[in-house]
Amino acid sequence: MADAPKLSHTSALMLQAIAAGHVYGYTVMEVTGLPSGTVYPALRRMERDRLIRSQWERQSIADAEQRPPRKYYKLTRAGEKTLETSRERYPLLAKLVAAVEVDGA
Amino acid sequence: MNGTWLQYTTLRVASLLVPSEQRAEWIEEWRSELWYIPQCRATIFCVGAFRDAFWMRRNHCVPLTRTRIHLESPLSCLALLTALAVLSVFIAFHMLAPRRTPVSPPVSPLIAPDLAGICFGVLMLSCLLLPAALWVWRPPASRYSVSWSSALRRGIFLVLKIALLQSMVLCGAVVYILPEPRGAFTGIAGAAAAVLALRWVIIDQQRRCPMCLRLLTSPIIIGTPSRTFLEWYGTESICPHGHGLLHTSEISSSYSGPQWLSLGDSWSVLFAKGAGRHL
Repeated sequence: MADAPKLSHTSALMLQAIAAGHVYGYTVMEVTGLPSGTVYPALRRMERDRLIRSQWERQSIADAEQRPPRKYYKLTRAGEKTLETSRERYPLLAKLVAAVEVDGA
Repeated sequence: MNGTWLQYTTLRVASLLVPSEQRAEWIEEWRSELWYIPQCRATIFCVGAFRDAFWMRRNHCVPLTRTRIHLESPLSCLALLTALAVLSVFIAFHMLAPRRTPVSPPVSPLIAPDLAGICFGVLMLSCLLLPAALWVWRPPASRYSVSWSSALRRGIFLVLKIALLQSMVLCGAVVYILPEPRGAFTGIAGAAAAVLALRWVIIDQQRRCPMCLRLLTSPIIIGTPSRTFLEWYGTESICPHGHGLLHTSEISSSYSGPQWLSLGDSWSVLFAKGAGRHL
């Protein structure tokens, strides 16, 4: 575990949000409260580091719901391991995202 | 309507920062996300696109083969210098041609002696740099000697580079000094440019393999500047065809010149494929 990348609190929070099912850039913004100028570069940086991977949803799904297709993000195996490490480092991480979800609901 | 126009324009302007091959997908992602943003927050959302675009620009890896002029091969280096020399001769003749018309003031009596003077000046300038050139020509302290054919080829390559450069310097001098003599600043600037160009020829010669004359690649720094008392500190470069390694000391001294270490045939397996580009 010593060679696992050390994430900042912001990146760990975003990883936690994606792991909790907020797989779009804007939903990550909403859950974490971070601005777009922080979230999107961080998503690209984590994708470059192979912690997450992105994929465009199918056009047929978007057409059926009459909206543009979105790009969604998923954790990779390395991302899941890194998130586990980050949870040890930031114990309140899971509670923080959960609390935001409760407040949002 | 106006808000939408402003947001799309903001995204379009920000997309100019994104590398062209990634621009279409980048702007598509931002536009699709914008569709879900409430109108009151959309403009702030789009302003964040600039930071994302900056990140894309900063972390964009451009393949070296697309941007660098290929000077690795000696033939390509000579071809580039020849093309520049031909271009400079063409420009010199083109700029001097109108002076032969009857309308122009008679200057022909001045051309021959001035031309000879300029040639003499260029030759004198070359003589001033001769010691540095000879220092390059000096065979490096090596554990293995370089064959006479390689040394001859290296010398011819150096002479050809200097000769092509001299023609460019001469054409520049003819164009900028002969038609209407300029001030001292022009002469000094021209001389400085000539010195820098000759300096490039010397440095380029130093960075080439003495056997195949290709540019050495993959430079790595060995040692640390703070421990130079008992340890060597410098750069090690490798021939892309595996002929050897060049050790260049970062601190010039009379006893530590460039060290060329030839690699034997047992190393050829490492360089058999890709000619060292994938090292």
